[in-house]
Amino acid sequence: MLTSLHIEGNSWLHRLPVRAKLLALVALSILLFLSGSVLVQLTAFVISGGLYISVGLSWREALKRVGFVFFTIFFLAAVNLFLLPLSEVAVLTLRLMALVLFAAAVTATTTIGAFMDEITVLLTPFERLGWVRAADVSLALGLVLRFVPDILARYQAIREAHRARGLPVRPLTIIGPLIILTLKDADTIAAAIDARGFRRQ
Amino acid sequence: MNTRDLVLIALFAAIVVVLGLIPPITLGFIPVPITAQSMGVMLAGCILGAKRGAFAFLLFLLLVAIGLPVLSGGRGGLAVFAGPSGGFILGWVVATFVTGLIAQRFVREGQPEVRQFVGFFLASIVGGIVVLYAIGMPWISAVTGTPLLTVATGSLAFLPGDLLKAAIATLAARAVFAGYPLLPVRA
Repeated sequence: MLTSLHIEGNSWLHRLPVRAKLLALVALSILLFLSGSVLVQLTAFVISGGLYISVGLSWREALKRVGFVFFTIFFLAAVNLFLLPLSEVAVLTLRLMALVLFAAAVTATTTIGAFMDEITVLLTPFERLGWVRAADVSLALGLVLRFVPDILARYQAIREAHRARGLPVRPLTIIGPLIILTLKDADTIAAAIDARGFRRQ
Repeated sequence: MNTRDLVLIALFAAIVVVLGLIPPITLGFIPVPITAQSMGVMLAGCILGAKRGAFAFLLFLLLVAIGLPVLSGGRGGLAVFAGPSGGFILGWVVATFVTGLIAQRFVREGQPEVRQFVGFFLASIVGGIVVLYAIGMPWISAVTGTPLLTVATGSLAFLPGDLLKAAIATLAARAVFAGYPLLPVRA
């Protein structure tokens, strides 16, 4: 249910450290937004597309991952055709597609663990200021992954309860009980975390 | 921030993930299907308040960014931030914060029920619709070049659905407020 979008592989992007990939993504965004040349955008699109294809996704999966975002891009491009000159529409559309493909390639080649290590590093300055603790972020992330299946099971139970009573399954009558039942566990979970001294305070 | 707040934030982020797994509802009179997840902003603000609500959504966005397909329809990864709707997704944090601020300001325990409904509805509309669109629409316009006025006109198609979401979120938030109030105990 909560499987990462990362895929196993040994492509060039897989071997690159996560920091380099993220910096490249930022640099690419800045470069493409500063440039108004169709040629630059097209080159970036071809390279990003090539990288995305090379990470080892099946065509079907590759298309599925960017399909929805591409749909919005094409829709807006179609609207733009009526309002802007053709060359400008080409620049805008190619730029977005290049960035989306590159971002999707970074996501596909980076593990959650690698991202988390990078986030810990990025949080260091805030940690020094005492705003946030990297350990808390990891703990919260772990809690989410731990409780999503439980909450989904609870949602299904509430839905079944509706059906058993012949009630229509409506978001309104489900969301209230789902949230109350879930959040009521907070005290117990917090007590369990503190009892184990996970946060050392 | 105490451990209980941390747990509440994590649990709410998990609820938002689950709301994305629920199949969207299509209504005859509204052109776009309604996803339960997009109600998360209004719910988080009205139930957890400004600070914890915003943190819950920051955590949720972190899940998206590190490559978990937790957005409704199984979407996720850095690509969604690079796409045209990236502004709406990043805007969720600010929108939740504003929703929470308004809810905290106007809704109190012991008020007549109607005033609580009005408070939550106002918070959901200002935070979850006005603020969110104020961030999302200029973003779309900036990255796709479509004039802001055209984007705004097109966005009107989503307005009936958003108002309905605000109404559902109001009723749900008020139910939670009556059953397990968290808003008064601020982080």
